[in-house]
Amino acid sequence: MSFRECLSLDRVSKSYWRGPHETTVLKYISLSVFAGECVAVWGQRGSGKTTLLKVAAGLEPPDDGIVSFKDRDLRAMSKAEMVRLLREEIGWARRSGPESDELEMLDYVALPLLKGHTLRRARRRSAQALAQVGVADCCKGRWEDLTDSERTLVSIAHAMVRKPSLLVVDDPTANLDLLQREEVMGLLRSTAEQEWIAVLITVPDMPSMVHAHRIGSLSDGRLLVPSGVSPERDNVVDFPIRGKAVLG
Amino acid sequence: MSAKHAVLGLVIERPGYGYDLARRLRERFGSSGFAPTGVYSALDQLSAEGLVRSAGSLAADSAERAAPRTVYEATGEGREQFDRWMLSTSSLAHVRDELNMKLALSRPRDLPALIELVRCQEEQCLARLEALKRVDAPAESPRPRSDGLAWPQVARLLVRDAEVRQLQARIEWLQRVGAIMVKLAGSQRSRVLPGESAGAVVGRGGPVEQRVRSEAEAAAVGARVA
Repeated sequence: MSFRECLSLDRVSKSYWRGPHETTVLKYISLSVFAGECVAVWGQRGSGKTTLLKVAAGLEPPDDGIVSFKDRDLRAMSKAEMVRLLREEIGWARRSGPESDELEMLDYVALPLLKGHTLRRARRRSAQALAQVGVADCCKGRWEDLTDSERTLVSIAHAMVRKPSLLVVDDPTANLDLLQREEVMGLLRSTAEQEWIAVLITVPDMPSMVHAHRIGSLSDGRLLVPSGVSPERDNVVDFPIRGKAVLG
Repeated sequence: MSAKHAVLGLVIERPGYGYDLARRLRERFGSSGFAPTGVYSALDQLSAEGLVRSAGSLAADSAERAAPRTVYEATGEGREQFDRWMLSTSSLAHVRDELNMKLALSRPRDLPALIELVRCQEEQCLARLEALKRVDAPAESPRPRSDGLAWPQVARLLVRDAEVRQLQARIEWLQRVGAIMVKLAGSQRSRVLPGESAGAVVGRGGPVEQRVRSEAEAAAVGARVA
């Protein structure tokens, strides 16, 4: 395992019970996401994309297999360490918006920082995050006033404001037209490269994957990748990293 | 559709020599399956029809290539012909797919091979998507807004979108077809008489047969659970 590897899923399986019926959603999924790259996983509705993200982000434990973050097995982490991981290292872009309709976006994006920063400093960082994703003019806006594209970008700013090592986004291009999709996907790719973070997204539309460094297809609980894979590393998404030089 | 109008359009965009046009054709219409050599026959045909002409020669730029390159440009008639083609109705391509033909003509014993074919084609679709992926450098920050894109860029996006959506539709269909075939292979296997080899139904012990057998078993287990 290399230093650059931010997230690693090793033969991860996950099932749900619906009454007496067990549905296996993920079957021996192996996936690595490195700093500086954007990995996109496509799947049809109900293929397990969101479950994959939840397991990858540590929100749900796998039934089998190992999820590691920066070489650390999540199962070995204490509750306090998990809380710190979810708060500081993993950014999940939620498009549900703030609880309060009255909150201005500057304050909404600043919220995750309030525990450790003054309001003034948090707002300054929030303004920077909003500007970075190209929606500085939404600072004074409220969630209900934003377009779908702006909501996606504000959500990414909200997840990025704490400068996480891993950004996770479920269907970032929902309800966007082709040009807005290009803008959002271009942003996610450049965020990975310029901020040197790992970005993992799931998409129901294949055109959204065109900007990703690496792609995979989730079907029947298995991950299919474009190139041949060896039997020992079945389902592993493992491509050369583009964008930045390999560290150390 | 022949490469003729594609090459004429590229020459109108910018004069070029054969190799350059073949490269541009691959970049712009890579998934359309135009053969690189088709550019040269298209140029011959366009020249014969007076739609393109030589605009001079480029001197050889290396010791490996002794002959100068002929640069082609569009004639006035070529531009008019291109405009007429642009305004004409576009035909809908016939679906003449080899896998479809195989499916239509297949026999029950072909099922394992068909399952493998479907899997291979899904991988090929993903590989083609990989080839279509954007490889140019990321936009500088602050990024240009999408509403600031010029039409040629938007047109390219639209074409790429169409290509990728066709691949997606194909993959979705392949996944459905694959699931049905695996289920049928499982039910076939379960109908094997006691003492009869499973290989009689699903193959003879090769890697394909093993894969089908494991999938069939998984499907059978899934069916029992459900």
